[in-house]
Amino acid sequence: MQDQDYILCECELQPLEDFVVALEETVELKLVKEPAICMTMVQAEDSVEFQPFYLGEALTTECELLVNGIRGIGICLGDEPVRAYCIAFMDAYTQMKDVDMQPVIDFLGKQSEIIEHNAKVENNLILRTKVDFKLMEQD
Amino acid sequence: MGYVAVKGGTDAIHNSQQLVEFYRLKDATTPLDIKQIRSQMRMAVDKVMGEGGVYAPEYAAIALKQAEGEVFEAAFILRAFRATLQRKYYSETINTREMFVKRKISASFREIPGGQILGPTRDYTQRILDTTKAFEDQEAIQKFLTEFTKGIKTDNLAEITTFAKVIDLLKNEGLLKPIDPTEDRILKDITREAIKFPAPRSARLQMLARAETGGLMALGYASMRGFGSVHPTVGELRYGTVQVKVKDATGRSRYIGKIEVTEAETISTGKRVKKKVPPFYTIGYGLCFGQNDTKVICMGILDTAMRTPDVNSPANDQEFVLYHTEGIESMGFVNHLKLPHYVTFQSGLKNTRAAIERSAEKPTGQAIQSPQLQTV
Repeated sequence: MQDQDYILCECELQPLEDFVVALEETVELKLVKEPAICMTMVQAEDSVEFQPFYLGEALTTECELLVNGIRGIGICLGDEPVRAYCIAFMDAYTQMKDVDMQPVIDFLGKQSEIIEHNAKVENNLILRTKVDFKLMEQD
Repeated sequence: MGYVAVKGGTDAIHNSQQLVEFYRLKDATTPLDIKQIRSQMRMAVDKVMGEGGVYAPEYAAIALKQAEGEVFEAAFILRAFRATLQRKYYSETINTREMFVKRKISASFREIPGGQILGPTRDYTQRILDTTKAFEDQEAIQKFLTEFTKGIKTDNLAEITTFAKVIDLLKNEGLLKPIDPTEDRILKDITREAIKFPAPRSARLQMLARAETGGLMALGYASMRGFGSVHPTVGELRYGTVQVKVKDATGRSRYIGKIEVTEAETISTGKRVKKKVPPFYTIGYGLCFGQNDTKVICMGILDTAMRTPDVNSPANDQEFVLYHTEGIESMGFVNHLKLPHYVTFQSGLKNTRAAIERSAEKPTGQAIQSPQLQTV
């Protein structure tokens, strides 16, 4: 299974929101920093000499909250207030010691499978464009 | 004489802005949906992000809608928007070797690691106007999607893999020019510090990454045509998605999403200073937001050209390349010419008239002043 942040950034928003809303009722929640947009400078490097340089900035949303007193931070690309909130919530929730994590593991596992399946389908569509050009002299 | 500004005209300017909106909307057609622009005007959105220097597909689509499809204006709007937000994070270095590859080709080697993958490209298509696009509807779209995905066996999908770089074949064989230890490798940020020439390579690559595609193409083409000496072969061109990670406030590395990028390594024959030195290849590098083959290839050409300064070749002159391919500044300067220059022009006009009057060589060529031009 992929990393938790990867799954939460890449999964469909609606099931994530539904899952978090259901968990919210079982905890005490305090919003420390409302979801807000900001910028992330993307660093790159050339592939030969590994010269670092800045490629440009990427729109980012961040959010911070406390779930039963445990700090959760959510960061994701784009203007995605709901997703950033859900990531922050899940970040805090999965650090809690005294809760049943099986529903979380099941949710992440299911979403991971969907993401992986969709990526594989796209990859297979892409691989259909694989080409083996022959030189004019070749048969 | 300096520029003298004007004042007033608030109502007319406001009405002009409203008139722009009127012409955008007067036919009362269905409003363009931002999702539609994002997906069906993908290349334009990519260009706006690349030239605006901001990866934000949704906002780039909004800017395109606002600018009625004018890419320069949309990129300008997006870059101005960028300035309103705080930069909270610096990403870890993105790794294009781990790219989810959607396109990967080489013009240098027929057989490359993982094979040549054309991906989404119009390279081998005839540019014939497809008038059926005028009648495209939801039914046609669904029909295409069903047909296109029909052959995929979802129970037997190939695994996703990453691919070794083509350029490593040359590198491993020792055919590339060794890194120049005297070159300035400092990491500069041209959005925080004005560029000075000669600029370090990091600043050059950053400026090229947000330069205007047409400007880069003009200079890259000029270099290949003979106003310069760089005429490379594309070692590898890749397009796909890369992961972006940042450190959060607690110091943990966090995945925050993926971005689409295009990358090119261009191969040129190195210029030998001494005959006894063995020949080598030099690599030009290009990387930009979104899918834009032309841009990254020209970045590669100009990256190579600028590493061998030559004031006789525009493409080899850092200041010439970097200032004049900066689309938003270029556009801003050109368009300022439309703003009122009444005082500066009248001053010049007065001097010209006075010089003509003083001219003893042309006694019969008396300038006659038009009554309409007598007032400033």
